[in-house]
Amino acid sequence: MSVITIDRLCKVYDGNYVLKYISLSFEAGQIIGYIGPNGAGKSTTIKILTGIIGDFEGNVHVLGMDVRKDSIAIKQKIGYIPENAALYDVLTPVEYLNFIGRLYGMELESIKKKSTELLHLFDLGTKMDQRMSGFSKGMRQKVLLISGLMHNPEIIFLDEPLSGLDANAVILVKEILSQLKKAGKTIFYSSHIMDVVEKLSDRIVIINKGEVIADGTFESLQQQASSGSLENIFTALTGNQEHESTAGAFISIIND
Amino acid sequence: MAKFLLSLVRIFRPLLNGRGIDFNSMMVIVETKLLMDQRRVYMNWRQGKTKENTNHLRVALLFYGFMGIVMGSMIYFVDNFLTIMIFTHAYILFMMAMILITDFSSVLLDTTDNQVILPRPVSSKTLFLARLVHILLYLLQFTFAIAAGSWLFTFLKYGFITGLALIFTTMLTVLLAIFVTYFLYLAILHFSNEQRIREIITYFQIFMMVFFTLGLQVFPRLLNVIDITQAIDLKGYMFVFPPVWMALTVDAFRLFQFDMVHIVMMVLSILVPVAGFWILFQFLAPGFASRLSALQGTANVVKRKEDRDDKIERGSLSERISAVACSTAVEKGSFAFTWKITGRDRNFRMQFYPGLAYILVFFFIFVLRGNKSIAENWQQLPETNNYLWLIYLSMLSVSSSLTLVAFNESYGASWIYHSTPVQQPGEIILGTIKSLFIKFFIPIYLILFTIAVSIWGWHVADDFLLGFFNNLFCFLVLASLTDHYLPFSRQPDTKQQAGRFVVILVQFILVGGLVGLHYLLISRSLLFYVIIPVLILGIVLLLKKLRTLSWSKISI
Repeated sequence: MSVITIDRLCKVYDGNYVLKYISLSFEAGQIIGYIGPNGAGKSTTIKILTGIIGDFEGNVHVLGMDVRKDSIAIKQKIGYIPENAALYDVLTPVEYLNFIGRLYGMELESIKKKSTELLHLFDLGTKMDQRMSGFSKGMRQKVLLISGLMHNPEIIFLDEPLSGLDANAVILVKEILSQLKKAGKTIFYSSHIMDVVEKLSDRIVIINKGEVIADGTFESLQQQASSGSLENIFTALTGNQEHESTAGAFISIIND
Repeated sequence: MAKFLLSLVRIFRPLLNGRGIDFNSMMVIVETKLLMDQRRVYMNWRQGKTKENTNHLRVALLFYGFMGIVMGSMIYFVDNFLTIMIFTHAYILFMMAMILITDFSSVLLDTTDNQVILPRPVSSKTLFLARLVHILLYLLQFTFAIAAGSWLFTFLKYGFITGLALIFTTMLTVLLAIFVTYFLYLAILHFSNEQRIREIITYFQIFMMVFFTLGLQVFPRLLNVIDITQAIDLKGYMFVFPPVWMALTVDAFRLFQFDMVHIVMMVLSILVPVAGFWILFQFLAPGFASRLSALQGTANVVKRKEDRDDKIERGSLSERISAVACSTAVEKGSFAFTWKITGRDRNFRMQFYPGLAYILVFFFIFVLRGNKSIAENWQQLPETNNYLWLIYLSMLSVSSSLTLVAFNESYGASWIYHSTPVQQPGEIILGTIKSLFIKFFIPIYLILFTIAVSIWGWHVADDFLLGFFNNLFCFLVLASLTDHYLPFSRQPDTKQQAGRFVVILVQFILVGGLVGLHYLLISRSLLFYVIIPVLILGIVLLLKKLRTLSWSKISI
């Protein structure tokens, strides 16, 4: 059964279509890599799927529910970890997680237990009771990851989840994602880091200028573009092959 | 106090639960927000050390409470009830609106809410109600701090019923303040963008700080001039002002007199805030958050671009001035850089401009000092030598920019000084100093000069000429005495160096000495032209010393 169905989704900002008739559906238990150049409409899609933006054309169902009508029930069952790590940084991680956990209707006891243990796992055990204003980007990202996963969601939406994390944390998060997948969770993953997407994803969707331009497994995309890495496929498909000449122009301007 | 108020909210649980509102989630949000309020640094209390555990909210409340008692005591001393009530309500309305606009604006305009809470299973109605309850609780704390003094003295002097009536009208006034502020924001949002609102708020905040500084210094002096004990003559147009409605409502309960005027006023004072609030809740507020989040980022890009192209073509003002005022490329760069950032950085403006209010304060204290009334002092002004104060006042205020310019929120960006091949950081410092002097000192000095000429006549011109070189000399001496930080390279709120006191002392001795010298020579203005060349020599030497500052002299 498909957990996400998108049917002719369009979104207009200031008279411009940022999403044009996107139709997709995803099965449970997959890791979906959602990639595209800046401004392609990745974050907008995720915000619509997570019920944050309710103003769009077309139909979108998540876990069988209409995102327009049942956004609250959907939000209860999904986790969302956004890109630009906004959090209330005058709070300590424990206070912040208590807050978010209770918004998910979790019991204080279970939040306390889970958050302390998870923070320890992420090496934030000693910083648990310090305010997050002094935290690095990676530390904040860890807290955000916990806040989006603590309530054991069915589908997890991640927008650049690895930004700012150190190498060890990246490996840990990648491992967490594959184990979540084994547990039957669906992971919807948007990123710029191609080799991570390449290795992790069961299915890769590439969008450009609001349209789906490729969709399939890494292998099928490879055949489609008849080239090696995802990076090459990506440039081939998004039609941006002027990199070489742009780089050339760059050098010649510096030399002036 | 916040905890107590929060438990009061629980009483309304049966009323608020259901119909798309999750009471528990709402309470969780409110509770967290109240906790965050205590940790926020209030704009009026920026200076000084900020320890992590200080409850900033409490400090602010105590301050307002103290002011409230001072204001409230006037109820006891002033016998005209209506006048003092209008005054009290106006004070409450003004204070609440100001607090809403300045301190609370960060909460109202905070889009972090949207990013943190919107992805969670919380309905927009719950979130809105949580915001509302939070605002109400927050304001209740401030209402209590501001108005408790007035309540106390009203109870003491006019009895229980009048006191109760005042509490009631205070609440109505607060509702009105919320409505007015929200409405103001909506109006600005409608015609403009978020960036603009933040700008406007900054100016409100500056105004607020100027108001406090001025108020505390000047208000007691003005009391002699305006006779507040006199009865206000209620004319037709005055019935437009809400404080008048409120005052008459309280008056009705004091006298137990319910004639036509009192009843109309009472109806207005209840109806307008309640109706305003209902409109707010029903129509305006739901769109507020979405409008705000939609505005983020996108809207203002287009216009700016044209602006910029235009600027590049003719070169910005700072660049054109720097071409004249500076010699090396590094100096010019630093000059334009300082000029632009001091104009754009909110924190700099917030801390610098209120200091300028001291010019006004000192104007009152020094220029108009004397035992006679202000009016008499004013008339005798042309016969005095008090314009000397005008010449040197600008110095005191502008010199604060020297220390402030070292601080910036993005102090980390100062790595650029160290990664570029700058041989003499003195050039950067000199560019900054010149920029500050030309941008802030010269305009103020010209304004003061114009004022002085209009009061004392043209004979003060040579005094201002000497004053100019004296000031420049002082400014440069101060600049070489203070620790040399590169512009915008220090983390805000870091401790002031211990040497600071000495610098202030030197500043006062130096300025005092030069003013004294100027004062002694005031009738022998020919001697000025002997001193000026000496000063110019000093200035040249100081400029040279600053320019050749080496890296070892730079504090980090």
